[in-house]
Amino acid sequence: MKPPPFDYFAPQTLEEVLQLLEQYGDDAKVLAGGQSLIPTMNFRLAQPAVLIDLNGIRELADIQESDEEITVGAMTRQRMLEKSVIIREKTPLIFETIPHIAHVQIRNRGTVGGNLAHADPASELPAVMVTLNATFKLQSLKSERWVSASDFFQGMYMTALQPEEILTEVRIPVQAVTGLYGFEEVARRHGDYALAGVSVLVHLDENQNCEDVRITYFSVGEAPVPAHNAVQFLTGQPLEDEIISEAAELAANNDIDPHDDIHASAKYRRHLAKILTIRALQKAKNRNKPN
Amino acid sequence: MSKWKPLEKMKILGKKYPRIDGAEKVTGRARYTYDQFKEGMLYGAILGSRYPAAKIVKIDDSMVWSLPGVKAVLTDVHPTGRVRYVGEEIAAVAATTPEILGEALRLFRVEYEKLPFTLYLEEAMKDEAPRVFPRRSNVNKPRIREEGNVEQGFAQAEVVLEDTFRTQVQIQTPLESHGSMVYWDGDELIIYDSTQAVHGVREGIAKMLDMPLHKVRVICHHMGGGFGSKLQPGIYTVIAARLAKQANAPVRLMLDRQLEFLTTGNRPDSLSRIKMGAKRDGTITAFFAKTYGTAGIGNGAGVRLPIVYSIPNVRHEHHDVYTNAGAARPFRAPGCPQASFAMEQMMDEMAEKLGMDPLQFRLKNDSNPTRQKEWMIGAERFGWHRRKVTPASDPGPIKRGMGLGASIWWPGGRGTKASMKIYSDGSVEVFCGTQDLGTGTRTHIAAVAAEELGLELKQIKVHIGDSNYPRSGASGGSTTSPSVAPAIKNTAEKARQELGKILAEHWNVSPEAIIFSDGYVIASGEAKQRLSWKEACGLLETDVLEVHGEWSEGLSSSGVAGCQFAEVEVDTDTGKIRVLRIVAVADCGLILDRLTTESQVNGGIIQGISYALFEERLFDPQTGAMVNPNFETYKIVGTMETPEIEVILFDEPERGVIGIGEPPTIPTSGAIANAVYNAIGVRIKSLPMTPDKVLQALANQKA
Repeated sequence: MKPPPFDYFAPQTLEEVLQLLEQYGDDAKVLAGGQSLIPTMNFRLAQPAVLIDLNGIRELADIQESDEEITVGAMTRQRMLEKSVIIREKTPLIFETIPHIAHVQIRNRGTVGGNLAHADPASELPAVMVTLNATFKLQSLKSERWVSASDFFQGMYMTALQPEEILTEVRIPVQAVTGLYGFEEVARRHGDYALAGVSVLVHLDENQNCEDVRITYFSVGEAPVPAHNAVQFLTGQPLEDEIISEAAELAANNDIDPHDDIHASAKYRRHLAKILTIRALQKAKNRNKPN
Repeated sequence: MSKWKPLEKMKILGKKYPRIDGAEKVTGRARYTYDQFKEGMLYGAILGSRYPAAKIVKIDDSMVWSLPGVKAVLTDVHPTGRVRYVGEEIAAVAATTPEILGEALRLFRVEYEKLPFTLYLEEAMKDEAPRVFPRRSNVNKPRIREEGNVEQGFAQAEVVLEDTFRTQVQIQTPLESHGSMVYWDGDELIIYDSTQAVHGVREGIAKMLDMPLHKVRVICHHMGGGFGSKLQPGIYTVIAARLAKQANAPVRLMLDRQLEFLTTGNRPDSLSRIKMGAKRDGTITAFFAKTYGTAGIGNGAGVRLPIVYSIPNVRHEHHDVYTNAGAARPFRAPGCPQASFAMEQMMDEMAEKLGMDPLQFRLKNDSNPTRQKEWMIGAERFGWHRRKVTPASDPGPIKRGMGLGASIWWPGGRGTKASMKIYSDGSVEVFCGTQDLGTGTRTHIAAVAAEELGLELKQIKVHIGDSNYPRSGASGGSTTSPSVAPAIKNTAEKARQELGKILAEHWNVSPEAIIFSDGYVIASGEAKQRLSWKEACGLLETDVLEVHGEWSEGLSSSGVAGCQFAEVEVDTDTGKIRVLRIVAVADCGLILDRLTTESQVNGGIIQGISYALFEERLFDPQTGAMVNPNFETYKIVGTMETPEIEVILFDEPERGVIGIGEPPTIPTSGAIANAVYNAIGVRIKSLPMTPDKVLQALANQKA
């Protein structure tokens, strides 16, 4: 299939982008890496009247670090994350996640902003951003605001973005990246959307008990799913095998609401969530090497 | 005609060499049907039925015509107006750009009278299921195969086992979809078709359009896969020809991926209820199978049971079952992978019951002398002795296991004609109306001709894939190599003899003294004369020597044996199966090219792994539409899931050329299933072996 006709703009500055969005609003779609939008248009599931191509906006594609945070521009390619020394050293959870995102060819093109704004519930990066407590900069011609990752994702392909806004930047607090982490997913084939997956980040207190725990699932609900019950249960407890199992059980039964589809039943997804939580927390635990 | 030279005297055959059109293919210069273009060409598309069972009340095309760029429309594509599956062709359109087509297809206003339908095998078998054909039961009368006396056989048995196995519908999924580019040259029809049978398509289309054969020409230079689904003339070709006539312009009509999934064939599913009896010493005495399969609205869902092993007393009753789905078509070893999945698991179950090693049990019941040798070679290379005797003995959660299975095939060579032209400047052309469906036929033809004439591969220009060339059969049933290679040898040999006569006269020696070797023509014996190939051809009085040859007995044979060993890893927490290693021993007679031969075996195994673990056609029970008619949701094994494959070519050159494309895909799923059992101690009896089935089986075992 081919897309129906549309108007195409290739602005060179963010300012121009925001003006076009102001002008066209709901009728427009912004084109980042195009790895989801273009197939959707080819199948005519999306039929935007106007396409605003962000690929000419150089200023949106970079990775920077400061003492407090790591900043990733929305047009940063997934492959750039994968190759970035900052990401590898400062946010190893992202580094561990990236190889699971589709295939190299897709990551060469796919962008961080596009990945997040598309808000596919089966996608890895949104869940990881929730786990990392990242915040997103949403800009329009008239305003600029910061929204936390957990507030940004509102449902299946639904986000806090207004029609005239775009996501321009992601900030990951540095304290979030010092914890023990783990990432696990199961997909039918390498590069497929996961049947279920989880990312975890744990900070231990001086007594080796869980102080700050973040567990977020993907592909088991309408959006990234935080494991509130499991987190509450784990807080104040040591990362021991039995406790990990109990937390995983709790999360699988009470925190997630997976659905049936042609690739897996809800029941199987629930089971996977439990297994993957155990494995991810075990990984986190094994990374704890007290001096 | 003389026999093949002994292998040690061959310069090309039996060795490894790249395809002559390899560079053309990888650089994109090879022109597939999809690439054919002609000035003024229109793009065609077919509108398929939305419903799995309906009467077409009315098709209104007025809106379609209102779209700028639409040049031809057909609304009488369906012969009866009673459709029986989603995607069945009901209308067609041709337009100036492919972008217009998507819009044009939406503008047909079709009024349907919806009818009840049935989609899946076991559902269609029920008495209350809607009938696919009103006057016929969905369950066809049985085809019965009987050998010996099965009651007596079971009476002799000391151990009797019964079990049931299910396999899924698999789609051929060639990368190049079905389709044609056609144009009318006066009242002659030229068809570029993506086909496994240029001559067969010419004959079929001529018949369908009621045209004389000489006015239809079918061409296929390069082919993006078929796996059996492109053996027949396509309705899309007839539609393209009619659109081309209406618009008075060339039309290219390639099916989109969705119609490709729905309308161009599949491997039928199967339900096999099996009973097998054996004596304590490991001799199988009796085999009974009752099987069912659906070929959609077509027939040919047979399950080739019992497969491979020699059993004296057999009874097999098979019923084809109709469903509201596209008709099946031949698919790489039709009827065999279904049978093998069930058979190899029954063999292992029986071996376990008898306390025998699965390999020993097979050796005892396998009467094929080639395979007897292959089993030993494969077992040695694979390290079968390291297999754990007790299933599921690894501590877990990730457990490993080993399994095996056997392959078999029957057809051999048949009539093929060819011609050759040798020019006075030494250039050589071969013409043969076969086609290269990706297996390397073009290269094999050059190799056989070059071998006979003492030339190099690059000196032979091969012309194939055109119904104007001497007749050859369809490329199906693994018949191409055993059909084509002897015909080319015969043709080249005739050319050599003709040229030999001229040189014998020139040198005044007997024609028997003339030898063609390494680019030279030599008078052996006392004369000691020698000319380069080019100089020798310079003696041709006319500017071209043309000869015709054909296939004959003695250079090819039928019957193929093989075996495979698989090692797998099963994650008992997630249910995921990973194939770690496959060792395959493939029977291959006289090898034409070791590279293309290995490639065929690799391909068969990869498709077998895909069948075992991933592929499955799925319907929406509410609408009857296929829910995964694309490469994202219809899972095909990927590179990262493809294990190390070791291919051992067991060649017996004295048997001549045999076809090996199909057998390697037969035993893979059964070998994997047996390895899974060895790893986790429960059998997965239905394909594909998905993670949830593995977990369910483990849970059932615990309960």
